[in-house]
Amino acid sequence: MSMLAIDKGGPSRKVKYGSMSRDRTWALRWSYFFLVLFAAFSLIPPIYMLITSLKSSAEISAATNPWWVFHPTLSNYFELLTSNQFLRFFWNSAIVSIVVVIVTMLISIPAAFALARMKFWGSATLATGVFLTYLIPDSLLFIPLFKMLAVIQDFTGIALLNRWYVLLLIYPTLTVPFCTWIMIGYFASIPKELDEAAIIDGASWLQTLMRIFIPVALPGLIAATIFAFTVSWAQFLYPLVFTTSVDQFVLPVGITTTLIKGDVFNWGQIMTGALLGAAPPLIIYAFLMDYYIAGLTAGATKG
Amino acid sequence: MSRKTLTRRQFVATTAMSSAALITAPYVRRAYAAGKLSIGFWDHWVPGANKASTDLVNEWAAKEKVEVSIDYITSNNKKIELTAAAEAQANSGHDILQMPSWWPQAYADQLEPLNDVMEPLIKQNGEVNGTVKYLGQSGGKWLAVPATPGSQIKGPCTRIDLMKKYANIDVQEMYPAGSPPKADNWTMETFLKAAEACQKGGFPFGIGLGETTDSVDTAGAIFQSFGAELVNAKGDITVKTDAVRQALEYYKKLISFLPPDAPSWDDASNNKWLISGKGALIMNPPSAWAVAKRDAPQVAEQCWTHGFPSGPKGRFAPYLPYFWGVWSFGKNKEAAKSLLTHLSQPSSIEKFVAVSGGYDLPAYANMTKLKTWAEEGPPKGTLYHYPDPHKQQTLSIAASPAPPKIAQQIYFQATLTKLALRHAQGEKMETALAWAEGECEGFMRS
Amino acid sequence: MADAVVEQGRLARAASPRKRASLHNKLGRKSTVAFFLTLPLILLIAALVLYPALYSVHLATLNKSMQKFVGFGNFTFLFKRETFWMVVKQSCLFAITAVIFKALIGFIVAHFVHNIPAKGQRKWRGMLLVPWVIPPAMSTLAWLWLFDPSYSAFNYTLSFFGIGPIPWLGDASWARFSVILVNVWYGAPFFMIMYLAALKSVPDQLYEAAAIDGANWWQRIWFITLPMMRNIIAITTLFSLIVTFANFDIVRILTSGGPLDSTHLFATWAFQVGIQSSDIPLGACVSLFMVPILAVAAIFILRDVSKRGNES
Repeated sequence: MSMLAIDKGGPSRKVKYGSMSRDRTWALRWSYFFLVLFAAFSLIPPIYMLITSLKSSAEISAATNPWWVFHPTLSNYFELLTSNQFLRFFWNSAIVSIVVVIVTMLISIPAAFALARMKFWGSATLATGVFLTYLIPDSLLFIPLFKMLAVIQDFTGIALLNRWYVLLLIYPTLTVPFCTWIMIGYFASIPKELDEAAIIDGASWLQTLMRIFIPVALPGLIAATIFAFTVSWAQFLYPLVFTTSVDQFVLPVGITTTLIKGDVFNWGQIMTGALLGAAPPLIIYAFLMDYYIAGLTAGATKG
Repeated sequence: MSRKTLTRRQFVATTAMSSAALITAPYVRRAYAAGKLSIGFWDHWVPGANKASTDLVNEWAAKEKVEVSIDYITSNNKKIELTAAAEAQANSGHDILQMPSWWPQAYADQLEPLNDVMEPLIKQNGEVNGTVKYLGQSGGKWLAVPATPGSQIKGPCTRIDLMKKYANIDVQEMYPAGSPPKADNWTMETFLKAAEACQKGGFPFGIGLGETTDSVDTAGAIFQSFGAELVNAKGDITVKTDAVRQALEYYKKLISFLPPDAPSWDDASNNKWLISGKGALIMNPPSAWAVAKRDAPQVAEQCWTHGFPSGPKGRFAPYLPYFWGVWSFGKNKEAAKSLLTHLSQPSSIEKFVAVSGGYDLPAYANMTKLKTWAEEGPPKGTLYHYPDPHKQQTLSIAASPAPPKIAQQIYFQATLTKLALRHAQGEKMETALAWAEGECEGFMRS
Repeated sequence: MADAVVEQGRLARAASPRKRASLHNKLGRKSTVAFFLTLPLILLIAALVLYPALYSVHLATLNKSMQKFVGFGNFTFLFKRETFWMVVKQSCLFAITAVIFKALIGFIVAHFVHNIPAKGQRKWRGMLLVPWVIPPAMSTLAWLWLFDPSYSAFNYTLSFFGIGPIPWLGDASWARFSVILVNVWYGAPFFMIMYLAALKSVPDQLYEAAAIDGANWWQRIWFITLPMMRNIIAITTLFSLIVTFANFDIVRILTSGGPLDSTHLFATWAFQVGIQSSDIPLGACVSLFMVPILAVAAIFILRDVSKRGNES
């Protein structure tokens, strides 16, 4: 859908202004030149990850040309993918991200629906407030949350610190506000007549939500899901503070803390780990780029 | 083991055992359940070295019929410190937790006194050095048992060939394998000249100036060899003294011969420096050499681990012990004490040292001449002088002898390296000292 | 598509005021329903965002062992620390410089992408957005390896031009440059994509008219593009300012604040003080200093948001 809008501004108009065509060609050449430059800048780190991940430790430590692989090997991939520890990180990350996405949707869809459609006392304040909570960053909250968890654990005896499941509780604070915000926007753009008609026909609010809002706002829903997933997958600070045992780690913390062994030289594995850790968001992005971009620009295009 | 049900953790453990590459998964062993014991050990850097701990614990568990579970916790990114902090905050966690040097003192109130473990051990294995007492003892109470795994001396690891070529020093002759060192000329002045010569030759010494332990430990030993203390044993700030000024002057000269990005180095940087063949000397336990043996054998063959140069106030070597502590809120303290005794027996210690390829260092006086150190190579005997077998150095930790709670902050805030770096980067001596004084005042917070 | 639906909605809405009266009864119960629908959201935010935020104010007034109330003691202690003022300065320098470069690069690149024929745009957009997609903790590791003292691939390349070796993370100014560079690398695509979306919404007729009037490209940007995009530039910049200001991953992984604390930001320093040195009250205190700048940004965004609310 966004593609349609983009195509509109395509080259058709240029034909009309023949006098400008020479300018135009030069502008194009410059554009391509700079785009190649910027794309190289964007892609150097991931490409370098790939190159390094194909090298053996011996080749890396020999300090030969870092931009070329002389003896490509998949041993780093093999070692990581057969290491229970790494698979454990992957598994933890996957479980955490998936559950957080589900929790986020369960919280933010009904809330967005209520805020977009049912005007009630305080609803406007709440809608703004939701977005503002997004402005309270994790780096402000991690210390009080840490102490809070310690106090609760001491008080109730339920283990919270150093448990991956505590992330299921904490991550939604990062995803819910923005997802609710996106969904409010999408829901608000659905014509009121659709749901009013449904209600007259005797549908309950819940049915209206399930039968009308969710199907119609599906693109927004997908964008919000992708957003929630990538945020949970990438979050670094909270798991760094709240988990300490190796079997509780999620990928970003696991890779940065266990693969970088103080004295041991294994950059091939670190780069492999980083690449594998970056893979799920990259794959999702490769297939659902338009939704991803729609999600990113959701607030902007309507403002 | 016979009538176990396969829990998730056990499943992980079983699969872990089958893949030799994996060392750090939690290991659970179930006997007849005469109590449970959960242990947090330091995740060893030397590949395969965790196995020694696992085996020894299992041996004990089978005999005592205790159900044990082991977590291996990495010290990267201060993860092990964070674990200790979290457990102390929440009053729950492992029964036994291995802690880096300073932490028994930090949690003195929450640790079980272990005098009944330590006193017989000292009788049996010999006296422990002053640093172990300084860090592990408080008011006559033993807070923790010095752990063999992880404890280390960070003496120089020198490239024999480069040192001979550029500085005209034969380290093998100075520190011959199997006999006492002839190192009277191995002083701070010689060291500085060697650093200059090697830097001119294109192979600078790889000494970090960052905020991690390797950098801080080296700075600590150099300061101590000049008698320089930021805070003295009584807790008075002694930054503005001639000893400190002298040490700073020395460090400034030394820094000019170090690699330009040394201020950003972490504990891995000096290892990489050695392994990549760019440097003639680093200050590190033998792990750098061990990795070089695997990835860059031509470098490893030229490595020699030996003693620290001596300064006006003596020959100090950076010593970084680990401890095993028992939380007072732990559920099975008696079993914990029994296990710690088992892990400190000479046979256990020998095993730790052998499996870690000589990296691990026992704290006891009678245990410094094990055959692992004499035999490891190539080059043969490269580790002979690592445990200081002839007692020619004072093993000390940076920031001592300040009261431990203050010293700990000086250590972790890397005040020594920062101070040296400030002065070396052009800040006036007195300004830099005033800065350090301010920092130390801040460390008096309670 | 969303826009099209809005249009339809507006047209249809005008025709239907009469039906609403009959709905009155049904809608009577709606505030109870609405309350329950928003309850999880309210609980989540109250318990895990607002409460901890207030709790950190409480924590900030305790002494190190958290047994005694010391009032503003921690704050006055901080004010006397040289490192604290360095952190304040660096956080501002980092956030402002990084955001300016992100906005500039984003704007330029968006223009170039917009310039080329539409069929190729998707491909370029895809490549340019990759830095934003990779979790920053992972991509920063790649940068860390590119900057490595012994094995830096940059220094290797530069050595052919007789430059270097550059102490990317070892020298205070270079380290600051490096962390900003990585942050710009990571954040510029976000600006690019937002600006691109905004550029698409500028009507072509405006440019055509300008072209006929003989406006050069600079005038077109200055008189048409920028005014049309003012809103989106403002909100993207503010938003990014907050996120950059609160950044943790990049600095933590690249430098951990070093050398000589010259790259510490509020978040990394609060982590070092609060969690690593077990001085929770002081750490809470440090992170509370982010509040004023966040509040200013929040006010601006709030204005924008409520404006948007009024329009719809």
